[in-house]
Amino acid sequence: MKTGQIVIALWLCLILITAVSANPNPLKIIEVYQQQGASRTDANRGKQLWETDTEGRRCTSCHGDSPSNNGSHIKTKKLIKPMALSVNPERYQDDKKIEKWFLRNCKWTFGRECNVQEKADILTWLSSQ
Amino acid sequence: MKQNRNMMAGSILMTAILAFSLYGFGQIWASSKNQANPLYAEECGSCHMAYPAQLLPPQSWQNMMLQLEDHFGENAELDAESKQAIESYLVEASQQGNGSSRKLFRNLGKQVPERITTLPYFIHEHDEIPSRLITSNDKVGSLSQCNACHQRAEQGDFDEDDVSIPGFGRWDD
Repeated sequence: MKTGQIVIALWLCLILITAVSANPNPLKIIEVYQQQGASRTDANRGKQLWETDTEGRRCTSCHGDSPSNNGSHIKTKKLIKPMALSVNPERYQDDKKIEKWFLRNCKWTFGRECNVQEKADILTWLSSQ
Repeated sequence: MKQNRNMMAGSILMTAILAFSLYGFGQIWASSKNQANPLYAEECGSCHMAYPAQLLPPQSWQNMMLQLEDHFGENAELDAESKQAIESYLVEASQQGNGSSRKLFRNLGKQVPERITTLPYFIHEHDEIPSRLITSNDKVGSLSQCNACHQRAEQGDFDEDDVSIPGFGRWDD
């Protein structure tokens, strides 16, 4: 076998490995939610939940109409940076922080905690934005 | 001649080192004096201004930390470890309050205020400002937004000379 063929073969192997191991979920925490019982994620379901109104409260009350833009706290007016992964990836670097905000904000918005499926769906939607 | 030059270079160097260290210590001192602890700034300051601890008596902070699930209508739950750390910081920093915070707690008696805006001294200091400059002013909204008008509020500096009300300007009473 010539050197050129070996190089091509190695390249093909590399591409194959990358393709197989590519993570279908942009955020690792989504996999954690799946290990905890969430099934296939659905960005549209996440979007719906994001816009659901519960007694006048919805995620957009503070985060604004577009996750790509800044929001502002409904009461204190403090600036809230965008939620879209593509615009503000720093948001998603700490799983503990993601959990903290889900706990606080689901309770405020829906009056209850969000389940793993809902959290996985919302994150799938926000990371597609 | 050469010796002289060496001595001069040496003293310039020593002076520079001295000045640099003094500057460094000054910075550390200034930041430890009034700047909020990083955990407090992160956890509480993401929703509102991280109010300087000296603005409420220690007991008020302790009460507040007991009801974070309903924090003036908002959920501000914290994990046990962060809660403990923030409470210790607030109580300690509040106890170390300077003269002006004792002035702030004047006429309180045995009351334990829930909010800074209900302190008699606070009310007295703000009662002449017309509501069109506060509640009807989009850029202010309420008296809780200290830093809308007090430019150095987050550093705990509420000097009247630094007040600038958005859309209105300086305020003198």
